[in-house]
Amino acid sequence: MKWITARRRHPLAGYVVVLLALAVFGVGYAMVAPSADRAEAQVMAAAQTGAEPADGENAVDISQGRDIWERSCASCHGLNGGGSDNAPDITGAGGAAVDFQVSTGRMPSSNPDAQMPRKEPAWNREEIDNLIAFYEEEIGQGAGPAVPEEPPGDEPVRADYEDEDAYKEAKAEYDKAYDAYIDGASDTEAGMQLYLANCAHCHSWSGAGGGLTGGHWAPEIGDATPRQLYEAMLTGPGQMPVFTEGTITPEDKQELISYVKTLQAEPNAGGIFDLNRVGQVAEGFIAWTVGLTLIIACAIWITAKQRAHD
Amino acid sequence: MSTTTQAPKALRGVGNWIDDRFHLAKTGEKNLRKVFPNHWSFMLGEIALYSFIILLVTGVFLTLWFNPSMAHTTYEGSYQRLNGVQMSEAYESTLRIDFDVRGGFLVRQIHHWAALIFVASLVAHMLRVFFTGAFRKPREINWLIGVGIFTLAMLEGLFGYSLPDDLPSGMGVRILQGVMLSLPVVGTYVSMFLFGGEFPGEDIIPRLYMLHILLIPGILLALIAAHFMILWHQKHTQYPGTGRSEKKVVGTPMFPGFAVKAGGFFFFVFAVIVGLSAFVQINPIHLFGPFTPTAITSGLQPDWYMGFMEGSLRIFPNWLDFQVFGYAVPIGVLVPGLVIPGIIFGGLAAWPFLEQWITGDKRVHNVADRPRNAPVRTAVGVAGVVFYGILWLAGANDILSHTFSISLYWTTYFFRVTAIVGPIIGFIVAKRICLGLQRRDLETLEHGYESGTIQQLPSGEFIEVHKESSQDTVHVLESKTAVDRIDDEAIASVEESESDGVEAPAARGLKGRLRAKLAHWYTKDNVSFEGVEAHTGHHLHHGAGHEEHEEMAGSH
Repeated sequence: MKWITARRRHPLAGYVVVLLALAVFGVGYAMVAPSADRAEAQVMAAAQTGAEPADGENAVDISQGRDIWERSCASCHGLNGGGSDNAPDITGAGGAAVDFQVSTGRMPSSNPDAQMPRKEPAWNREEIDNLIAFYEEEIGQGAGPAVPEEPPGDEPVRADYEDEDAYKEAKAEYDKAYDAYIDGASDTEAGMQLYLANCAHCHSWSGAGGGLTGGHWAPEIGDATPRQLYEAMLTGPGQMPVFTEGTITPEDKQELISYVKTLQAEPNAGGIFDLNRVGQVAEGFIAWTVGLTLIIACAIWITAKQRAHD
Repeated sequence: MSTTTQAPKALRGVGNWIDDRFHLAKTGEKNLRKVFPNHWSFMLGEIALYSFIILLVTGVFLTLWFNPSMAHTTYEGSYQRLNGVQMSEAYESTLRIDFDVRGGFLVRQIHHWAALIFVASLVAHMLRVFFTGAFRKPREINWLIGVGIFTLAMLEGLFGYSLPDDLPSGMGVRILQGVMLSLPVVGTYVSMFLFGGEFPGEDIIPRLYMLHILLIPGILLALIAAHFMILWHQKHTQYPGTGRSEKKVVGTPMFPGFAVKAGGFFFFVFAVIVGLSAFVQINPIHLFGPFTPTAITSGLQPDWYMGFMEGSLRIFPNWLDFQVFGYAVPIGVLVPGLVIPGIIFGGLAAWPFLEQWITGDKRVHNVADRPRNAPVRTAVGVAGVVFYGILWLAGANDILSHTFSISLYWTTYFFRVTAIVGPIIGFIVAKRICLGLQRRDLETLEHGYESGTIQQLPSGEFIEVHKESSQDTVHVLESKTAVDRIDDEAIASVEESESDGVEAPAARGLKGRLRAKLAHWYTKDNVSFEGVEAHTGHHLHHGAGHEEHEEMAGSH
């Protein structure tokens, strides 16, 4: 207390108090406010009670898929996928759309009126596969694009494997497929031209995303797997246009995805602080707040002391 | 320097030899003893000078390898990712500087960071000069030169940004061309002339290169030299204080004190810029890729100093566009792209003359104003800063929208409203703060400062003891001259009596009446310090009557 008493009349004390109060309220609000993730956790908890993982690696359990559908999808999209006031008709969306929406965590949505950010998926790979199988069997019935098999999808998760070796094996296999797909594209220029002409004006040159009209935004695409990128092009989620296999051929899609992933993997040659590749706004901000501020602080320092005989 | 010790004989010999021929000793001594006032805000212009020197040195280094050509080539260098990609030789040679020239990447980053710091320090320096009234007679010409340097520095930066022919370069040039095209009648001709044909053509990079490394730096150097010669001749302004007057400068002599400080300061500026360049990535052109006319991306802006123009283009509505005989007059580009920057720079250039005309103050000023003592000027400055700042933020509206999850359209509406309302609020708030500070100054001057000591009088009541301010504080407070409050009625009455009741010629006519109105507006709210003498207020005298203490209590 003595420490505070001695300093409470300091000229900066008021600012410190205001900053502390702001920090307390800001952090406090962030802790208390309902977030999409929290709402999702409740959905997940509800879903998980009924969904036991099926046995066998490749066995598709349509009944589990139906279970997930009825618990977590049907309330908005309808039992037959015909949609409702809250959600669109998805009978023609295709397995690729289901895989994209669910594996990126955008569905199930906690707020049908808002654009959903990417988050942890509510189910593991196997459960999602079961859901897709159920969807294609009973809801989509072959309409719309199917899940593209060639581009690698989600990375294996340790929790889905019983022991470390099985996980490592699956991971190695995945990495091999991933590298084969990315390296299979050799024409950097084609990928770059396609990306910069078709994608960059929303997702930005670096894939960091950007604002769109009407309160929507183009998401950051760095976390997306090659398969999710491919599915997004095939199905055009949200505001995104559809790039069919005719518009951009599978080979060109591979070039494009390879360009995105290679650019993303680039190290930052210009220093350890990459400013998140946000660009000139961040650079100008740093120039003023760090650069000029430091220099002016030095100017204050060297002119503050003046000796009598100077 | 001590005068008793003599220089070593060898040095004396050389010194005398030179002095016998050039008679430098006298001028040298005079200039070496030149006095520089000690205040950090007088160093802001030096930051600009030092970063300009850094720009020149690093720029020369870069020209050794940069190839300003738009000829097509296929990249086959050490940057693997872009191997086999078609690009211009300009972009290819920039990649070579980055990846194959030893130290090239660092030097290019130094060049870019120094450019950002250069323009930022110019702005800071100009704000200091503006708010302290250092542009007043006799320094109007140097202010104009400063505005010229600032404008050219922006252009220089824009052209330099365009040289590597990477993705943002091309987009910047495209916007530049769009603004040119919006000029009525001559727009297409101007564009065709600059680009040597259609956009982008093959000529633009070599032409911008010539402008960037020869013409504009040449003019900038000449202007900076003129700026310094005039400064040297006129001397610095200084802040009011003990021993300082319109005729007498107080500070550190050029040699050795100031030279050492300035030299050290150069190295500090250099260190900060190199530090930024070494650790913070700037303009990673190798990640952007080469420009092609079909490519376009979100999330890229011009460098910060062009941000306000980007912002004015982004928020200006397109409702006002019209056509004349089938030719479009794109007001939505013409006004934000040319008229608004014209108003900002024209306003900067015109202000000293405008203020002089309004106040009728034609005297020489070597003591800087405290911003509070010129409330309307300060308020106008703040309004300008707010306007510029809003446009600048609007230039980053997509980044703001995405970073803070705000709807993009709302940012546009918000900035449209605040671009008009913001400066007005800024003006009012700044002026009120200035006047409040003036009142406090008056109070401090009359009554001394509040010591924080509470005393109990024999009658039982409590008072706070006021103490006399230091001599220096009194000098500073008394620097507020009567001219800050031009009483236009008094002027008019004096002029009237001089001309036997006939209205003064200067106040006649539309212009005269406008001037009188503006002068009234400019000075009417100023708190008058006339006749106030330091520490004559009653609070210092404790025997004061009861009602006075009540008044004091009421005023706190």
